[in-house]
Amino acid sequence: MKQCGGHIKSWAIAAIMFWGLLFCAPDAAAQKQVTANQVKAVFLYNFTQFVTWPPQVVQNGPFIIGLLGGDPFGSYLDEVVAGEKVNGHPIVIRRYANVSEIGNCHILFVHQADPKEVMRQLRGRSILTVGDTEDFLSEGGIIRFSIQQNKIRLQINAASARNAQLSISSKLLRLAEVLNK
Amino acid sequence: MGSTIQKKLMRMVMLICGTILLLTSGAYFVYEYIIYKDLARQELASVARIIASNSTASLAFNDQEDAKEILSALRAQKSILAAVLYDADGKSFCTYMGEAMADSMPVYKGKDGYQFTARFLEGFEPVVQNEKRVGTLYLRSDIQAIYDRFFLYGIIVVCFIAVSFLFVYLLSKQMQRSIADPILKLAAAARIISNKKDYSIRVAETNTGDEVGELTKAFNQMLGQIDFQNNEINLLNANLEEKIRQRTEELQNANQALVEQNEFIQKLIDSSVDLIAVFDEQLHYIAINKQAASVFNRSKEEVLNRHILEVFPSLKDKPIIDQLKRAFGGEFLHVKAYQSQVSDHYLENFFVPLQNKNGLVDRVMLIGHDITDLVEANEKLKRANAQLEKSNRDLEQFAYVASHDLQEPLRKIRTFSGLSEQNADKPEIQKRYLSKISTSAARMSELIQAVLNYSRLSKKEEVAEEVALQQVIRQITIDLELAIEEKKAILLMEDLPVLKGNALQLHQLFFNLFTNALKFSRRQPEIRINYRMVAPEQRFEKELPGEHQWIEISFADNGIGFDQKYASQLFSIFKRLHQSSEYAGTGIGLALCKKIVENHGGMIRVESAKDHGTTFLIYFPTTIVSFSAQSLETDQALEIQ
Repeated sequence: MKQCGGHIKSWAIAAIMFWGLLFCAPDAAAQKQVTANQVKAVFLYNFTQFVTWPPQVVQNGPFIIGLLGGDPFGSYLDEVVAGEKVNGHPIVIRRYANVSEIGNCHILFVHQADPKEVMRQLRGRSILTVGDTEDFLSEGGIIRFSIQQNKIRLQINAASARNAQLSISSKLLRLAEVLNK
Repeated sequence: MGSTIQKKLMRMVMLICGTILLLTSGAYFVYEYIIYKDLARQELASVARIIASNSTASLAFNDQEDAKEILSALRAQKSILAAVLYDADGKSFCTYMGEAMADSMPVYKGKDGYQFTARFLEGFEPVVQNEKRVGTLYLRSDIQAIYDRFFLYGIIVVCFIAVSFLFVYLLSKQMQRSIADPILKLAAAARIISNKKDYSIRVAETNTGDEVGELTKAFNQMLGQIDFQNNEINLLNANLEEKIRQRTEELQNANQALVEQNEFIQKLIDSSVDLIAVFDEQLHYIAINKQAASVFNRSKEEVLNRHILEVFPSLKDKPIIDQLKRAFGGEFLHVKAYQSQVSDHYLENFFVPLQNKNGLVDRVMLIGHDITDLVEANEKLKRANAQLEKSNRDLEQFAYVASHDLQEPLRKIRTFSGLSEQNADKPEIQKRYLSKISTSAARMSELIQAVLNYSRLSKKEEVAEEVALQQVIRQITIDLELAIEEKKAILLMEDLPVLKGNALQLHQLFFNLFTNALKFSRRQPEIRINYRMVAPEQRFEKELPGEHQWIEISFADNGIGFDQKYASQLFSIFKRLHQSSEYAGTGIGLALCKKIVENHGGMIRVESAKDHGTTFLIYFPTTIVSFSAQSLETDQALEIQ
């Protein structure tokens, strides 16, 4: 078993456990409150496992997860990714105020920004864009968190992923609702 | 399949094949078991890896629906009974239950790998995505399939062994023949030969070229030799039999001659009037003639080949044994008179040593010449001589006594007849003298009568008849009635026995004793007659010869008695202890008594003391006494007054 980092790791586990408890052991549901944002943070990290970037974008420097338009996770995301690596590169969290600040970036969570504008500016770059607005995918975003039946579901725009030269694991695709626009 | 060698061969082959089959099957079984377990483990692991790989996203993105779907794919794998997906924290994330599987699911304890339990094959597989562990998969597989498979294997192995055995049996049955058959043939032939003694039989030889073939060949050769030798032996036997027959005939003839010679010799010794016996060195009788057998009162068979002491034990330590031994030392012995210890014969014995070829004495012939008649005649002569000598002595004594005692009345007669002549003119005196002469003559006549009585006793008249002493005493008391009455004598007597002897003499004996008792008494005489058996231990004391028992009759009076020192003289003829003037008597009475008692083989003694009576003790051997012949009418003492 691969050794994972201290606090963030246990938080991630706690989040998974919460969902596990929610479905498999409802008796213990009240044990620990896990917020949707915390789940989203863990998912953000997990995408690193199921998505393959073009080699040239991950060759140098750290693996960067960017947050655009505010940080809904607080320090939680930092805890989750602390000590984790992708292809041997440490994971770094970058918080951007606007799109122009975005330099080298692999995953970008678009929180409070106009997706249309963001997509237009980032077109052609191999960045896995994740958002939760309803029009996120239609505007060219790749993955959207949607809340369905009190559960976070993934929606993936396969065409956008292709455009971004990202290869998404079929395992992830199988879980998600896939759009081809 | 009768013979044991066939059985043994078959058993051997079957045993070897059986062992090989069992070992092979066992090894195969073990191999299969190990391989199959390994295989099953690998299969389960590969299934687990596929499932685990597929479920990484479900775990990563918390999608239980998807996980459930993935796990439900296991439905196609019937052997998988249950599956559990645990998250990275080890908590159960999703569970799959196969049909008929209600068991509780295990808790992940952080250890991966597969293992066989009693009922299942189960194990934990890590769920890894890009080297990142996201959870654990547990799979449980039914191993009934393994058991089913082993059961199938078992059946196959058993069938295989059974079929192999059948083949082995058929093959070995066919193949053992090549070894067993020739041996069986040999055995059968050997059995027939030993039963029928027919050595002309041959065993069919097989050209197998092996040792059995050689054995058969050798057996046949041996039989040939035996057959050949048998014929020779038979031929020899026939010759031998002929020779034996001839030899036997010769022997029979020689035997016949020997028997005849033996019979002749036996006839010779049997016709001898002398006793002939031949002894060997061990003193066994080896020959005896008819005369000896009849004298010894033994049949030849009782005597022959037996030891002399076995036949006549009484000869132990007798001189004859020593004499025989001396004869074996080569000495010729002549024993002139020998009283046979085993018969009443007298023999003149010759011990003749017989030498064998080497000059050694190995037999002794004892020739006994019967001289019984001669010896008896001699004995008779001796006795007659002794009698004669005694008579002569008596006569001498008598002559002396007669010359002395008889002369006295004669002297008286001469004196008184002379006086009478001188006084022829005085008739009164003459008359007195004549009376004296007459008395003396009567006295003489009395003396002569007594002498006659005594001499008559000397001529033994051996007429033995049964005499009841009781009767005799009674008769005497009648004869002496006047004297008894005159002296008022008392007679005390118990029952007396009956003797075998001369009635007249016994009468005279007790008559004399009675007259003595009456005569030598001063007061009223009392006579006691008793008898008793002499105890054997008293015999010596009483100086009685020891060959037979004695009876003692005591005759006691209370008369004047005499000094015991005169006792020895008492029984001499004409001996008197008192003057005839005092007590009348001839001096012959007690001599007569002694004679009579001796004539009956007895003895007489006297015990006395002056003035204390006299007791005569008369001893008779019990051989002449009979107690039963006469039972007397009275048991009490007879008393006469």
